[in-house]
Amino acid sequence: MKIVVMIKQVPDAEEIFIDPVKFTLNRSQARGIINPSDENALEAALRIKEAVGGEITIISMGPPQAENAIIECMGRGADRGILITDRVFAAADTYATSLTLAAAIKKLGEFDLIFAGESTTDSGTGHVGPGVAEFLGIDQVTYTINTKIEGEMLIGERELEDGIEVVSARPPLLVTVMINANIPRHSSLRKKVDAIRKGIEKWDHDTLSLPPDWVGLKGSPTLVGALKIPEERKRASKIIKLEEIPDLVNELVKNGVISTGGD
Amino acid sequence: MEIEEKLALLNYKTDKSYEHITVNPNICETCPDHFCTFACPAKCYTLIEGKLNFKYEDCVECGTCIVACSHGSVSWSNPKGGHGVKYKFG
Amino acid sequence: MSEFDAIVVGGGPAGSSSAIKRASSGLNVLLVERSDPPGSKNVSGGILWGKDLSAIVPDWEKNAPLERYITAKGTGFLTTDSMISIDFRSKKLEASKTGYSVLRAKLDQFLANKAKSSGATLVTGVTVDKLAFDGDRVIGVQQDGDTITSDVVILAEGANPRVAIDSGVRKPIDDQDIAIGIKQVIRLPESTINERFNLRGNQGFAGEYVLGFLQGTVKAGAFMYTNKDTISLGIVVNMSGLRENNSTYSFNIMEQFASHPFIQPYIEGGKVEEYSAHLVCEGGINSVPKLSGNGYMIAGDSAGLTFSNGLVIQGMNYAISSGIAAAETAIAAKAKNNYSSDFLSSYDTNLSANYVLKDMNTFRGIENVTWSNLMHKAVPGIAENVLFRMFNETGQPKEHLSSILMDSIRESKYSKSDLIIEAYRALRRL
Repeated sequence: MKIVVMIKQVPDAEEIFIDPVKFTLNRSQARGIINPSDENALEAALRIKEAVGGEITIISMGPPQAENAIIECMGRGADRGILITDRVFAAADTYATSLTLAAAIKKLGEFDLIFAGESTTDSGTGHVGPGVAEFLGIDQVTYTINTKIEGEMLIGERELEDGIEVVSARPPLLVTVMINANIPRHSSLRKKVDAIRKGIEKWDHDTLSLPPDWVGLKGSPTLVGALKIPEERKRASKIIKLEEIPDLVNELVKNGVISTGGD
Repeated sequence: MEIEEKLALLNYKTDKSYEHITVNPNICETCPDHFCTFACPAKCYTLIEGKLNFKYEDCVECGTCIVACSHGSVSWSNPKGGHGVKYKFG
Repeated sequence: MSEFDAIVVGGGPAGSSSAIKRASSGLNVLLVERSDPPGSKNVSGGILWGKDLSAIVPDWEKNAPLERYITAKGTGFLTTDSMISIDFRSKKLEASKTGYSVLRAKLDQFLANKAKSSGATLVTGVTVDKLAFDGDRVIGVQQDGDTITSDVVILAEGANPRVAIDSGVRKPIDDQDIAIGIKQVIRLPESTINERFNLRGNQGFAGEYVLGFLQGTVKAGAFMYTNKDTISLGIVVNMSGLRENNSTYSFNIMEQFASHPFIQPYIEGGKVEEYSAHLVCEGGINSVPKLSGNGYMIAGDSAGLTFSNGLVIQGMNYAISSGIAAAETAIAAKAKNNYSSDFLSSYDTNLSANYVLKDMNTFRGIENVTWSNLMHKAVPGIAENVLFRMFNETGQPKEHLSSILMDSIRESKYSKSDLIIEAYRALRRL
């Protein structure tokens, strides 16, 4: 089974704080970690590899420092690592990121499964996994907490608001994995030493040969107009006694906050 | 400032699959001193209704408790896989 | 044939220095650090006496993440009501620029990356389980069931050396070997720090105190170091005194120090950014284990190589120096293809020849002075009494200093003969 796992290095959310004066997020002290649900995605992929055999390729887009995150994944059992890194990819929104990652996966050739974390802690859109599936024209199984292969099919348990849905889908597929879906394993010294020796592959804009205005900021239709902290809305409050409840109900009906129904 | 507030400042990457320190409750039950509760700088050892309670999640991995416990109850290993406390200043 | 010439366990100053030295000599070195990134589990009081670094990182003063260089040293006693201290400020100290305040999360990462750029294989976020043996010969390390082989292993795990202890090459640590170090880092504007400590630009202050106000048998030292825009405030608690007392919480001593009437003003308005704890080697030369054996060497805190005489505490320079010495021995061992305990014992000889073991031998038994009742329970109160009576104007006739001193000694709980004996012992060892 050929498996791709998409990971992203994100600033550790535990180390981001809100600037007490400017009310902006200060990331200057935050160190890079693997996006938490991406660790769960890798673990899900490793379990499938252990069950049915196969090869796992890690793909990540980001600055050169993201190499450490990829080596860590290889230390846990991934076979190959590719870092897509180029200044022209910088400032990409989720559309351009999905497109770039999809192009990279296409370049890899055949694949059966693509795993991705459900969303990242630094932007939290949850767009990129599904976006890659759309650009590649494949089916997707999202919000999984458990996945396994039965015959030719992937069986995925999806955690939805009103329960768990079990689906069966035929690869090639993209699967997104929920945070806490599993407990990620530790990397091993043997595998990490081997990973460092093997090294990772670095792909840039030339490797992917995408039109320049499809990638990075140019390829990003999302424009951030402004950022602001919503003003705190003062809510009216008053303490009422038990015997005043009928009056309160009448007042709420009168003001249209609640309706009596019926008529 | 309370110790609990100080510990709340720390970034821990807690390993849910592995407790790096374990205590032997049979030994702790008959312990005459419970010195661990005074020695541990991260208040991981507390007495609740006379019984020793230990939580590894707040541990800052100093190693005080393995020296402090003279009754052989504490077994101490390093956390694995980069888990545990993650200092910003050190 | 081993996979590596050397494996270094631990990416602190001892391990990284050792790896830098070896890798830059062309040896094939694996440096394994359990934290990720390196330094994120390390704590120190925070003064680096870094001359030794010049040998392996010539540009360290320019490029290492240093906070301030120490131009002012404070040392003294704190009692419940008083601070009695010497404040030594010197152009000479400033010119020599040997001591720098540092924060380990940054410094250790810098050194580990130097090891990597010198050619060492740096693995982070992996914990070595044990040494691997063939008979009594160390042949590498074990991790998660795998053995990674090397001609020699350097154990530089810090003050709580689990691999060395669990592999039986070092005895477990006891009360005499260590003290409990607790620290908090407090943020204040750079200009406020400069004003409060009477510093300019990048000048720094390093103060070490005896806490003479603690209850019962509890004994602790304390430190206050200035960083660029933070202050490192910490305590070092004697384990056997705390045990004997068995009613004082170690973390409360930190708070007592921070709220002392003459410490609190320095940190007032500051925000506590980090609380940390770490063992501090305090046993002196008596705690230093066998430093090498068949296929292995032990460096830095793992070998108890820390110097403290009550006036200065030094650890990182001893770590660096021992790490380099271990590397030199490993390089020589490779040239001769001899990793026997006999050959590796030249590491012990090297350390005896340089200041590391010389200092520790010169100050043999110093821990009995730094942790004596004299220093912690007698002198602070006597000194306070003498100075108070000297400086306090009561309108009464003045007394001679000698009679004030004798009065003060009489008022303390210590017999004159005990004090004289302890003071004599202390002077001999200092």
